[in-house]
Amino acid sequence: MRWTAYFQEGWQNLLSAKLRSILALTGILVGTASVVAMISGGEMATNEALKQFKTLGTDLLAITISESSDKLFQNATQKSLSVEQAKAISDSDHSILEVAPYIQLYNPIQFNGHALDGAIVGVTESFARITHIEMAEGRFISDLDHYEPFCVIGDGLYQQIKQHTLMNPVGQQIQVGSAIFTIAGVAKYFPENSFVDGNVNNAVILPIEAAFLASQYAVINNIVLKLSENASSDRVEVHVENYLRHIFSGKQYAFRSAKELVKRMGKQNEIFTVFLGLIGGVSLLVGGIGVMNIMLVSVVERRREMGIRMAVGATRRDIRLLFLVEAVILAMAGGLLGVLLGIVIAYGVALYWHWEFTIFLWPPLVGFTVSVATGVFFGFYPAHQASRLNPVVALRAD
Amino acid sequence: MSSLIRLKNISKVYRSHASEFHALKSINLELNRGEMIAIVGASGSGKSTLMNIIGFLDQGTSGHYLFSDQDVSRLTSDELSHIRNQKTGFVFQSFFLLPKMNALQNVMLPLFYRNEEKELSRQKALSLLKKVGMEKFSHYKPNQLSGGQQQRVAIARALVGNPEIILADEPTGSLDSGTGRDVMQLLLDLHQAEKRTIVIVTHDEKISRHCQRTIIINDGRIV
Repeated sequence: MRWTAYFQEGWQNLLSAKLRSILALTGILVGTASVVAMISGGEMATNEALKQFKTLGTDLLAITISESSDKLFQNATQKSLSVEQAKAISDSDHSILEVAPYIQLYNPIQFNGHALDGAIVGVTESFARITHIEMAEGRFISDLDHYEPFCVIGDGLYQQIKQHTLMNPVGQQIQVGSAIFTIAGVAKYFPENSFVDGNVNNAVILPIEAAFLASQYAVINNIVLKLSENASSDRVEVHVENYLRHIFSGKQYAFRSAKELVKRMGKQNEIFTVFLGLIGGVSLLVGGIGVMNIMLVSVVERRREMGIRMAVGATRRDIRLLFLVEAVILAMAGGLLGVLLGIVIAYGVALYWHWEFTIFLWPPLVGFTVSVATGVFFGFYPAHQASRLNPVVALRAD
Repeated sequence: MSSLIRLKNISKVYRSHASEFHALKSINLELNRGEMIAIVGASGSGKSTLMNIIGFLDQGTSGHYLFSDQDVSRLTSDELSHIRNQKTGFVFQSFFLLPKMNALQNVMLPLFYRNEEKELSRQKALSLLKKVGMEKFSHYKPNQLSGGQQQRVAIARALVGNPEIILADEPTGSLDSGTGRDVMQLLLDLHQAEKRTIVIVTHDEKISRHCQRTIIINDGRIV
């Protein structure tokens, strides 16, 4: 009951000095809004970065094979992994479910006499399953294609072709280097991800065997593995590296596991978010100083009132509470409005960068809590000042 | 009749870095329950300081203050607040009502700091407003009331906690002579009908003549 009385009184005092209260509140509001907007923005950016794993899953392991810089191994026994050897990797360990070796080439591409800007990717049927390539039209590469001159084009390449002809590209022919391929399908837009090297959207996708024929430089330099759900990617990495070393020497292997990437991105984004939060915190600090400033003026102006209250029996604690409650009301109101504004700003940011907008629970919670704490912290000094007034002096004040 | 207040050798010294100012010099004073006294003196004589000490708003630099035979000369700030709340009621020259509160809320204020239940406080405050003839104005803000009415509300506030002593500092100083007389009559009635202990600080001889005893202060001493 006493507390409600304190809050009623604090509220009335704030109302009686409207402009001043609004100014103090604005400081807290802007500070809280910036904390909430910054942290929400950071979280959304994290989400956006991790989005690829929602479709891909986190049980992928990518291997890039490159030439060792060590001269000793340069005259290696075998130049490239064969398709069969690559496929056999999945049989060598029970936690490897599927294997997709692929080849990247940079032969010139022509369509109807128009040069197109793109690359060549030689793949197996499993590639679409593992990396979730979806078809807009036609079919994907099949393992039954072997050396047949069929190909699939990416969405980007399709857009380029559309500028030259209005015909449906499926069934048309496209020239890759000196070979002619028939377009068997068009892939849908493929979102960028950190697993597949090269730009699948701007690629002519060939059967892997046909790619070997298309260029003498064709080498299987990338493999994507799909692992069973609870497989340890560290263990599989060691296993695969040993397996490959048995086949040929003089190579270097770089592994990228989805779990590892998620972890690293998570860590980076955490630091990023903390820094954004700190920047927001600085404006909240400024807002808090505003509250203190205004409260200090209020203490001086209301000295006589404090004197009267002391004369009828208010203790120092009572006087302190009187001002603290006002600071807390200001901070809570500012915090609440700030949280709302912060969410609106975060929404604007999401709209501008085409991110998926999500309301996170913890940035508003943090923003609100910190703003109330700021109010208490910066309200404390003026409240303390007021409580130390000498009643005789306070009564004499005008 | 037992003595309510006994001041023994109370002195008050204000020190600044360069000089000392002796506001009160070895004051000895005894005040009985139910007495009504006037403290008279020129401004700067120390009469307000004396009243502040008697009313626990201030403390002497040296000497002893016995209130109901208890030594209260060295109390902490919280203890002073408590004793002011329980034992004293103040009436000031410029009324000192809180401008944002209405008459009723002003009268209830001492009870709020006593942690008294709200409805009970309301009842008490209303009956006190009735006693001072202000029951019709309980929802008026101080700036809607005349000076005499404000002082009546202030007297109700001083009485609401049923204090042992009422301290009035120039209670008629801001009022015209007619309303001043009415307010003075109210204080006299309280003294006579309820045997209230009242200390009035004034420089008006007409007022001091109503009191049983007059103490004249000059230059920090009782003469």
